[in-house]
Amino acid sequence: MKARKPDCVVIGAGPAGLGAALAAHEAGLKDVLLIERDVELGGILPQCIHDGFGSIIFKETLTGPQYAQRFIDRVEKTDIEVKLNTMVLDLKPDRTITAVNAREGIMEIRPRSLVLAMGCRERTRHQILIPGYRPAGVICAGAAQRDINIEGLLPGRRVVILGSGDIGLIMARRFTLEGAEVEGVYEIMDHPGGLTRNVVQCLHDYDIPLHLSHTVTFIHGRKRVEAVTVSRVGDDLKPLPGTERLVPCDTLVLSVGLIPENELSKKAGVVLDPATGGPLVDERMETTVEGIFACGNVMNVFDLVDYVTHTAEVAGRAAAEYVLAKGRRRREAPLRVEPGRNVKFVVPQLLRGFEREVSFYFRVQHPEKAVRSRLVAGGEVLAGRRAKMVRPPEMVRVKAGPEELKSVREMGEVRIEVLPEAGAGGNGAGEETGDDVA
Amino acid sequence: MVIVGGGITGCAIAREITRYTPDVVVLEKESDVACGASKANNAEVHSGIGEDAGTLKQKLNVRGNYLYDEFVRGLGVDFKRQGLIIVVTPRSVPEEAARQLSDEELRELLERKIPEGIVAYGEKAGIKGLRVLSRSEVLQREPNVTPEAVAGVFDPNYGLVCPYKLTIALAESAVINGARVFTNTEVTGIRVEDGRVRGVVTGRGEISTGLVVNAAGVFADEVAEMAGAGGFRIHPRKGATLLFDREVTSEYVRSSVALFRMPGMKKEHSKGGGAMPTIEGNLQLGPTAVEVEDKYDTSISAEEIEEIFERFHYLLPEFPREAVISAFSGVRAPTLEEDFVIEASDRVHGFINVAGIQSPGLASAPAIVEMVMGFLHEMGIPRNPRPDFDPVRPAVPRFAELSDDERDRLIREDPRWGHIVCRCEYVSEAEVVRAIHSLIPARDLDAVKRRTRVGMGRCQGGFCTHRVAAILARELGIPVTEVTKSGEGSAVFMGETKDILARGRGEADRS
Repeated sequence: MKARKPDCVVIGAGPAGLGAALAAHEAGLKDVLLIERDVELGGILPQCIHDGFGSIIFKETLTGPQYAQRFIDRVEKTDIEVKLNTMVLDLKPDRTITAVNAREGIMEIRPRSLVLAMGCRERTRHQILIPGYRPAGVICAGAAQRDINIEGLLPGRRVVILGSGDIGLIMARRFTLEGAEVEGVYEIMDHPGGLTRNVVQCLHDYDIPLHLSHTVTFIHGRKRVEAVTVSRVGDDLKPLPGTERLVPCDTLVLSVGLIPENELSKKAGVVLDPATGGPLVDERMETTVEGIFACGNVMNVFDLVDYVTHTAEVAGRAAAEYVLAKGRRRREAPLRVEPGRNVKFVVPQLLRGFEREVSFYFRVQHPEKAVRSRLVAGGEVLAGRRAKMVRPPEMVRVKAGPEELKSVREMGEVRIEVLPEAGAGGNGAGEETGDDVA
Repeated sequence: MVIVGGGITGCAIAREITRYTPDVVVLEKESDVACGASKANNAEVHSGIGEDAGTLKQKLNVRGNYLYDEFVRGLGVDFKRQGLIIVVTPRSVPEEAARQLSDEELRELLERKIPEGIVAYGEKAGIKGLRVLSRSEVLQREPNVTPEAVAGVFDPNYGLVCPYKLTIALAESAVINGARVFTNTEVTGIRVEDGRVRGVVTGRGEISTGLVVNAAGVFADEVAEMAGAGGFRIHPRKGATLLFDREVTSEYVRSSVALFRMPGMKKEHSKGGGAMPTIEGNLQLGPTAVEVEDKYDTSISAEEIEEIFERFHYLLPEFPREAVISAFSGVRAPTLEEDFVIEASDRVHGFINVAGIQSPGLASAPAIVEMVMGFLHEMGIPRNPRPDFDPVRPAVPRFAELSDDERDRLIREDPRWGHIVCRCEYVSEAEVVRAIHSLIPARDLDAVKRRTRVGMGRCQGGFCTHRVAAILARELGIPVTEVTKSGEGSAVFMGETKDILARGRGEADRS
């Protein structure tokens, strides 16, 4: 068995892994290894042929492949080592990796730092327990997107979509453009799950109906999907008897949520946050296990790739600093960033250092109009950001600079909350402009 | 010699026949063996403790369980006796009955009389090794069981086996010894002349034979009628089970765990189900018992899901609801009498019914085989084993279970061992290719899945379906658009992109 000891290994070569590997390399690490289980670099982006990527980072709208290519080109100009078709089988708390590929067999790798960038996977029909049969033709939206955009295969001709997450909306349009009939998009909540721009550009523009407060309550067809039963749901999200409607179709596409892929993180002993499904990280994106960093959708599911890239750069740089400090660094006991009013979760969840600017990402629990998001420590408002509207699908970012963080350190506590504009106040520091993403 | 039905019963009988003669054919109407109840049960080798005294079912179950280690020997299939814990709680007794007892009497009943009664009942049926457990023993063995547990009984005989892998292994062992297995071959008639079986008519032609074993599961009554050897009716009853992510639930229960209910409290005809590990380590909860009209009704209803959640919320209060990765239903094949019907027809010479085989059919299989062989020997199957019978069907290596050194060695021989196609279950391309070219060839996604576990993990095929479909297409020499999930009518893809646009909307609408 070949044992290698690179400065940094990045697991996963999607936008998070590409960004982290580049950042680690640029911050001075010579031996960076990027491991990818798929056949090419870019993760999910090569199949995301629609546009809308990069509005914050590049100030232009790119397609997924274009966005990925900008990073792939940069990686190719470096001596970052890339292993494609390589699967990490095991990961230990001391960062020992066991990986395999067809060319080299089983490998043991002991990097001096590690970045987790495995992304996320789709929730399946069983996780939401849709009753019925188990025929061919029940497919997750991301898998359908891959079939159409990469494999050139059409998973269905007459399609019902459950869930109005972004991929579901984008696939409604994609199936329509292929000439397939999209009967409708059904959403159990009373509001769409995806970005507003996607509801407009993918459904409204193509006259595809969106049925809010509806769900699929039975899948018919023994061999291939023949129909689904849809029902209206009540306030408790339970189907209302008597509202059932049979919708003939050959395919049910599911866009019912994404789950960070943390099987390896767990093997490494990394502590996960039940609110995000991803590792607890500090402002350097370092997990609870020293020398193991995380970024992108493995931490929590982002709705914008630009944010993924940003966390990747933080993680990659921090991994480099960790290695270059050669163990001289002192790891402070962390301060917990508390989610306050109308905040579902915040990343990073922990603060250990207070010297550099930190972007806090969070989601709200419920939609709210005319609000101010703010960072509060010891009753003092340190940073804030106004918004006309906040919605759970649209992540909010609040930045805090060294000045504000100094206060946080002094107070020994920090909270992020969303308040109605009238009672908000605040000094406006850290407010973002120009990249509201609707 | 023809066997109708490629389930556990039919394949076990076929394999045993090849010990004496290679002249046996198995006919299966689905695209693979183990496509009925044999693939959708709880994978438990019961002991017989749950069966009614004096039934053929109980007799064959007790005997079958006893024979199991020998039965699976050489087949390359894992078998583990994990045991069963029958839990006694205040809910084991009907409320009205409990109310009529003093607290002390009730305690005596729950802590002593019921457990001792269960042990005595089992021992009378010939079940060995049963013992009463105290409350603390129950909770020590199974910490996730309700704290309301008062006492229990441990039955060490309960075993776990993967039922479809065992069925496939039996079928392959039969093939190694000369049997032929025809899938996609539906029996449409039995030719009987002068009260003797002469042949079996199928959708693919007729086979001349003087001996037919009817092991057609839920369709056994219809096959028996074709021969004029019927007289029983199968009324399908489905059972639904929820399956959990093994990463979350491995060791959640170490033995099977069932709640004891006094006779008369059971709902419908089922042993009442329980919480069971699979041999791979997933927790399973179920099954339900619902009478259905349609023998193909393998659906699972919202009510069944609710019922399972409710029932096990009591037995395992904290079970991880969110870790469900799959739900499935199987259709049981009970007769009206609820017992096995295993008989050489007295009306049609050469026709043997092996019907009404519902749970504990998996556990009883070795004893059913013994009984059927008794008939067959009388009907002329040689009594002396063949000297060239090969009892070994080698185990199929699985990447996930190999040591790193073994993996490395295999990859050097065949690099496809190093190409992982299923990231949840760590299945390599080499395993998929082997399954496709195995003795009972896997020709669709589900058949590959049953042999390799590809797509059985938490992503349920989200990442690997297109990869496995591509390998199937390549190995079978067919376009990927012809790859199916489970045989005819279950195409995975509806065409290629631009198909509809090229042919115009009209055609798409008609399809």
